[in-house]
Amino acid sequence: MKKSETPLLDQMRQLTGAPVGEPNTARDPVNQAMIRHWCDAVDDRNPVYTDPEFAEKSVHGGIVAPPTMLQAWTMPGLMSREEREARAPRGPSVLRLLDEAGFTSVVATNCTQAYKRYLRPGDLLTVSHSIEAVSDEKKTALGVGHFVTQLTCYRDQNGEEVATMRFRLLKFRPTERSAGAERRGAPKRSRPVPSINHDNRFFWDGVQAGRLLIQRCFCGKLRHPPGPMCPVCRSLEWEAAEACGRGTVYSYVVAHHPPIPPFEYPNLIVLVELEEGVRIVSNLVDIEPEEVEIGMAVRARFDEVEPDRILLQFERAKG
Amino acid sequence: MREPTRTTTLRYHQVAIGDELSDLTLPITATVIVSGAIASRDYQDVHHDRDLAVERGSEDIFMNILTSNGYVGRFVTDWAGPEALIQRVDIRLGAPNYPGDTMVMTGRVKEKSDGIITVELVGKNGLGNHVTGTVDLRLPQ
Amino acid sequence: MSVDFKVVSHFASDLRDRAAIAGIGATEFSKDSGRSEMRLAVEAVTAALEDAGLEPADVDGYSVFSMDNNPAIEVNRQIGGGDLRFFGRVHYGGGAACATVLQAAMAVATGVANTVVCYRAMNERSMQRFGAGVQDRRPMPTAESAHFGWYAPYGLLTPASWVAMSARRYMHEYGATSEDFGRVSVADRKHAATNPAAWFYQQPISLEDHQRSRWIIDPLRLLDCCQESDGAVAVVVTSAERARDLRQPPAMIRAAAQGASHEQQMMTGFYADRITGLPEMGLVAQQLYATAGLTPDDIQTAIIYDHFTPFVLIQLEEFGFCKKGEAKDFIRDGNIELGGRLPINTHGGQLGEAYIHGMNGINEAVRQVRGTAVNPVKDVEHVVVTAGTGVPTSGLILGRD
Ligand SMILES: [Zn+2]
Repeated sequence: MKKSETPLLDQMRQLTGAPVGEPNTARDPVNQAMIRHWCDAVDDRNPVYTDPEFAEKSVHGGIVAPPTMLQAWTMPGLMSREEREARAPRGPSVLRLLDEAGFTSVVATNCTQAYKRYLRPGDLLTVSHSIEAVSDEKKTALGVGHFVTQLTCYRDQNGEEVATMRFRLLKFRPTERSAGAERRGAPKRSRPVPSINHDNRFFWDGVQAGRLLIQRCFCGKLRHPPGPMCPVCRSLEWEAAEACGRGTVYSYVVAHHPPIPPFEYPNLIVLVELEEGVRIVSNLVDIEPEEVEIGMAVRARFDEVEPDRILLQFERAKG
Repeated sequence: MREPTRTTTLRYHQVAIGDELSDLTLPITATVIVSGAIASRDYQDVHHDRDLAVERGSEDIFMNILTSNGYVGRFVTDWAGPEALIQRVDIRLGAPNYPGDTMVMTGRVKEKSDGIITVELVGKNGLGNHVTGTVDLRLPQ
Repeated sequence: MSVDFKVVSHFASDLRDRAAIAGIGATEFSKDSGRSEMRLAVEAVTAALEDAGLEPADVDGYSVFSMDNNPAIEVNRQIGGGDLRFFGRVHYGGGAACATVLQAAMAVATGVANTVVCYRAMNERSMQRFGAGVQDRRPMPTAESAHFGWYAPYGLLTPASWVAMSARRYMHEYGATSEDFGRVSVADRKHAATNPAAWFYQQPISLEDHQRSRWIIDPLRLLDCCQESDGAVAVVVTSAERARDLRQPPAMIRAAAQGASHEQQMMTGFYADRITGLPEMGLVAQQLYATAGLTPDDIQTAIIYDHFTPFVLIQLEEFGFCKKGEAKDFIRDGNIELGGRLPINTHGGQLGEAYIHGMNGINEAVRQVRGTAVNPVKDVEHVVVTAGTGVPTSGLILGRD
């Protein structure tokens, strides 16, 4: 996408991989009291966290901390604003560049934690952060923005890495509409939702899980849009076959009018002929309308077009 | 001390792809949100101060991500047992958990290999999916 | 101009000349009627009965659109009509237009009813704009609602957008251009310019005007899209014998037919092997020619449903007025304008006169048969009328007695 070749993106990409701020050591070692607070709060009754006798005989050989409590160990605790500002990392940072470029709003989208070992009372964690990736500029339902993936490493008192966390957030420029809606606390207008019934639920569940599923009869006939019966063999039995996601543009339109919220215009809508042979309507993204051609190779992707709403989209196939 | 949910642990061979986890229904209250925030040492005002949360454009205080992670961890070990080892939690965040709502967590076994099972889960509230994702668990052989 | 169009004779029905349109009526066409749809309906219906020289009490049947908001029993009560022996509704939007006449003709041909009224009354501009599409529909787990779910989440929400998707492919396969679509609009507006009943009376456009008009949904421009209108139209159908004794010379229903292809979709025929035709309209054409015993050469003028210009080209092909893919050449030569080989939409069509879901075109066809059209075509024997495109549809051939 031509738009992405901006100085901003170049600047941000130069900062990826470099540490953000100084490594920070936890205020307290892993301890039973905090574990107990946590287990009370989420009502986690797993005895390996709180029952020394049970834990002793367990695979752990003693009390361990709940793995998902990871972040809690290095949280700063209650701070005044002055303290918070004093702690903020100095120098250029990706998030600051985005703030300065007007992408002032933030929403967390994904969190992935991987644990190398369970933590035990006495472990003292040190945490370090870096920016792992910054996406091209994306149009989202909230507004135009960049997805930023922050990588956090947790090391113990011996310098051993015990866990990592990847945290993905969207820094975006709120649209006037979404900003207004946010101010008023009103719900944002969402894209029309499909009507889900027994015949199509698999498709929409698949999309939510990032899979493009096509109805396939056991006689081999692929059907889209799906329906209850195979027109070839009249079978009512079928399975959901996962499409490879590759296809070509069979036709397309560029919507300009009427402007219907929350769509952004011009809105590029394509009829894709999938490699498997069926056609499907979707959006084509990260491309200018004048670059689209019938026959162009495209591939499926799954975008979170609004919070908690995954939608099938297509993009130009690379290479 | 509260009674443990279970004291035995599922063995790897006892679990099949497609097995469903026991549902977890969680009424969301201000207490649930605030206690989770404080237990995770997260003092951001939107997780405990309703007036400030509303001023910042939110409907109410809402659950912090650390607490959501905590419920994901609890959900899988409530089902698999205390000695199931959580290897990896990968979640996507969605609709906020506000007081007065209810989150229902459901899950199923999606994959299974080399002693590790992957559970696919959804925590759904009245606004939509609060959390969706997968958890890798190592089960005793 | 014959294009080796083969009429399939086994599609002939027994309906030829069994029934006729004896009366037509309409309200004015506007953007804000200032009165209820029901009132528009009763005004048009009583005007059609008056035109035929019939009394409301003579009416014993109705055939209307399922999309019409005015139940036949209400209309009948308002006008002081008689007891009803036949009442039917036809589904699928504008595809119902000629089908209401088909079903009325079947009713009178079989003696099920004697006098059947077909009408369409709508405040489609001031009350419920079709152009806004399906954006505010509440999802229901029904098949019709689920259908829109394949399009609405992506913003493919309006009739124009559904037609545009097929039009782009048609352009790609046959080399038609935006200007070719524009020529339809220019012809319609030329005809509307001399029709005092038309909204765009005395407002012709040039091809440059068309090309300068803004994109609605590329490849469709504003001037490729029909109007949104308030108004009502009604016709009275009775048996051929009875029609001959009434006030007006009968417009004989030489043939009437419906068609839906085996792969039919509602506006989104994107999945057939080829999407550059309107096979349902081809099926209608075959039935009409076979029933009437006519060929394209026997047709002097046509009312071609024109909610969006690209489908006018495809219909000309489906009716055998030109070969597949050659409509652009046919219309480039001026054939569809007054004085051309096949003047279409001599009232101005839905682009020029008004969008009353195709029913105003039936009235114009009757006027051409009677010889009372404001833009008369010379020596009219037979007029083709088509109904909504992209949907299950219908058509008529009307002729002189
Ligand atoms: Zn089959």
